Amino acid sequence: MNKAADTDPNQETGYKTATAGNFRSRRLHFLGLDSDDIVKAFFGGNATLAIIVLLLIMFFLFKEGSGFAGQNATELVSFRQSGLEYVDLMRSQLNAFNDLPRHLSKMEAEDIKFRMKEGDELKEAREHTKELRDYTMELRKAVRPLDRHIKELSETSIVLRDAYKTYLNRCQEKDNLQREADKAARRGNTELENRFRAEAAAVRIASIDVAARRATVTNRLPEFLAINAELRAKLGVLLENAPAVDREVEDEMRRFRSKAQRFIEVSLQTEDKLRSWDAERPMPFSRRITSFLFGRDWVTNSYFQDWYGVLPLLYGSVVVSFIALFFAVPLGIAGAVYVNQFASHSEQKFIKPYIEFISAIPSVVIGFFGVIVWGQFVREASGWAIFSWIPGFPISERLNAFTAGCLLALMAIPTIFTLAEDALNNVPKAFKEASLAVGATRLQTTIRIVIPTALSGMISAVLLGFGRVIGETMVVLLCAGNRISIPDFSDGFSTLFQPVHTMTGIVAQEMGEVVSGSIHYRALFLVGTLLFFISLAINYMAQKIMRRYSIAEK
Amino acid sequence: MMSQKNNFPPTLNFEIPAMSEQTIPTARTIYRPTATVQGPGGDKVSIEVRDLNFYYGEKQALHGINISILEHEVTAFIGPSGCGKSTLLRCMNRMNDLIDGTRAEGQILIEGQNIYDKDVDVIELRKHVGMVFQKSNPFPMSIYDNITYGLKIQGRKKKRELDEVVEKSLRGAALWDEAKDRLHESGLSLSGGQQQRLCIARAIAVEPDILLMDEPCSALDPIATARVEELIHELKKTFTIVIVTHNMQQAARVSDKTAFFYLGNLIEFNQTEQIFLNPSDAQTEAYVSGRFG
Ligand SMILES: Nc1ncnc2c1ncn2[C@@H]1O[C@H](COP(=O)(O)OP(=O)(O)OP(=O)(O)O)[C@@H](O)[C@H]1O
Ligand SMILES: [Mg+2]
Repeated sequence: MNKAADTDPNQETGYKTATAGNFRSRRLHFLGLDSDDIVKAFFGGNATLAIIVLLLIMFFLFKEGSGFAGQNATELVSFRQSGLEYVDLMRSQLNAFNDLPRHLSKMEAEDIKFRMKEGDELKEAREHTKELRDYTMELRKAVRPLDRHIKELSETSIVLRDAYKTYLNRCQEKDNLQREADKAARRGNTELENRFRAEAAAVRIASIDVAARRATVTNRLPEFLAINAELRAKLGVLLENAPAVDREVEDEMRRFRSKAQRFIEVSLQTEDKLRSWDAERPMPFSRRITSFLFGRDWVTNSYFQDWYGVLPLLYGSVVVSFIALFFAVPLGIAGAVYVNQFASHSEQKFIKPYIEFISAIPSVVIGFFGVIVWGQFVREASGWAIFSWIPGFPISERLNAFTAGCLLALMAIPTIFTLAEDALNNVPKAFKEASLAVGATRLQTTIRIVIPTALSGMISAVLLGFGRVIGETMVVLLCAGNRISIPDFSDGFSTLFQPVHTMTGIVAQEMGEVVSGSIHYRALFLVGTLLFFISLAINYMAQKIMRRYSIAEK
Repeated sequence: MMSQKNNFPPTLNFEIPAMSEQTIPTARTIYRPTATVQGPGGDKVSIEVRDLNFYYGEKQALHGINISILEHEVTAFIGPSGCGKSTLLRCMNRMNDLIDGTRAEGQILIEGQNIYDKDVDVIELRKHVGMVFQKSNPFPMSIYDNITYGLKIQGRKKKRELDEVVEKSLRGAALWDEAKDRLHESGLSLSGGQQQRLCIARAIAVEPDILLMDEPCSALDPIATARVEELIHELKKTFTIVIVTHNMQQAARVSDKTAFFYLGNLIEFNQTEQIFLNPSDAQTEAYVSGRFG
């Protein structure tokens, strides 16, 4: 027996003294943390870091994008003040007119195609449509005076717009400096204040008389009215003497006539609009953002006026994604159902990794394949006889929304397949057994029990697939054709075969060459922000659906 | 070695005495011909298992089982965990087919036909042989739809007919009074005991001849258990019932005959009273005497 034991009062009882020491942790300690705390701190730290990075990204997107509103206001105000908006009204009328000869040219091409199919030589066919061609030429000639007039006005206005924009920017610069000076003054830093004041004084602002210079444009309204009236008269005469056309294109001719009629109405409306146009009409504050969100034009580096309307890009992204989902959803879901419910063990072992492997293909390789092989094939296939009933076929563009959509489908399939398969796997085996036990076949069990139970999971699989394709960049940049426009949907089905540009594509394409801090730069950030929110919304919805309808939680 | 009888302490927490390979009696020697086991429902055989061996891959789970189950009787399967009760039960409606790599040798005759014959349609078989599982598993749909599911997949869609079946099955499962006002609520909104009775209702809705129950009360409280047991008494008039249970009292209460399994062998099969009061096999006695502890 040792000494310590001798002095222990509880010695006889055989019990050890109950001291706090008995419960002291025996785990590894480091900086006052035990091993559990360290592990917790490590994982917690990682999670926190991820959240911080996400917040930083959001903050950065906002910061860079938020300047857009202010700069856009300058753009919009100078657009109006310089009278460019006024000229733009005329221009849109001019565009409406230019659609007429274009319509006829297209009609002629169709007629020629038809005649050649009937056995005519190209030369013969062209001989036949000569009258129509001449007529088209007449139309083009008729609009020339208007064209010339508008060009003149544009030039004046553009010069004024640029001058006025410079003026506004200088004013703002001066304002900013003054504000900085005031701030310094409040802090009592006279030296800094003086420096700002000096800088502000050094900013030269050449004052311009916008109203007077604008009047040189607006005062020429009578001239425009005269030209316009003459154009309408000419068009009226031309419509009377329209050439007779082949029966095959009679419908098109009728559409041409109604288009021409509509132009005359538009022309009269334009005149009204010009008369009531007022440069001093206030610009609603919301226009700064709505001109982005609902703008139908994305025009950059143009000599006339730049526009940053996201709609055509949004249209492109959405249409490409929908085409992708159109193919990927049935294939991915059906694949998942088959593999999960019907495939033998060895089939499962083969199919699952194979499909998942698709997602490992670098998107640039898929895009490359799309440009070289698939696009070519789509165009060729559109010329096959079985598709000839589709209006607008054969298509002329190799790279278009459809081509890109098909390739994106390839990329969405693994996502949809894997997630849907997971959802099916999560259906309790007990449901399946119960169904079979009352005499249901495998197919009945799958359709009536397994799929409905997994439905929420499968819907969110589709949504996440959607998120996957709408965020995809490389493939659309390479294969979507990159034409920024909202097509007119008069072509029906073949509208899907027109080139489009997408939100992801435009950022990737233009970000490299924009001037940092310019409105264009900020617009691209805004596109990025929008994309970010769309993805966020899709993911949120997917989770919501998953949670809301999952039976596992009930 | 001491005799097993003496070796066995009559405690509640009993242990099965270890058996060496040699002491395991083959099922065949233990099996008593049905003729000697007269039941209340006459002597018409409903299920006859002949020399059944069953394998999960390489592993043999059942060894030469021979047993005859009479019509309108309740037959209880008892035995320690892992002895093959569920396996045998699931052989009777070929539920084991769902598991990859399983294999059955021997025969199971139901209404004189071997259900392992090639030309047997499992779907038809399962309409005849219903099953209630250990964990209640109503479908995530309404009570009404749960019950009519089996009929709808057979293409029976007439509303009047379905309504009748729903009422009849729910009454049969002693759930009608509790559920009649909420037929269109989710089956999952019922309590555990009610859910199990719903599953019974679902199974009897397709009017099977035989009802297989795999520990139907293991997840239920004593009151719900009592209701299901009462129900089994009722159901016996219409169905032949095979029930797996770990609860000796339950086996004693509900069954007419009891079969004791051990390590994949059928050790003893007899009238329930015989099994519990006067078992002829030492292991059976060791096992069932847990209840007298
Ligand atoms: N799916 C399976 N795959 C492989 N072996 C299995 C499988 N299911 C059961 N077994 C084996 O078969 C034997 C019998 O199992 P079974 O489930 O029939 O036992 P049980 O008597 O029902 O047991 P319990 O009372 O615990 O339910 C066990 O040894 C088990 O390990
Ligand atoms: Mg079991």
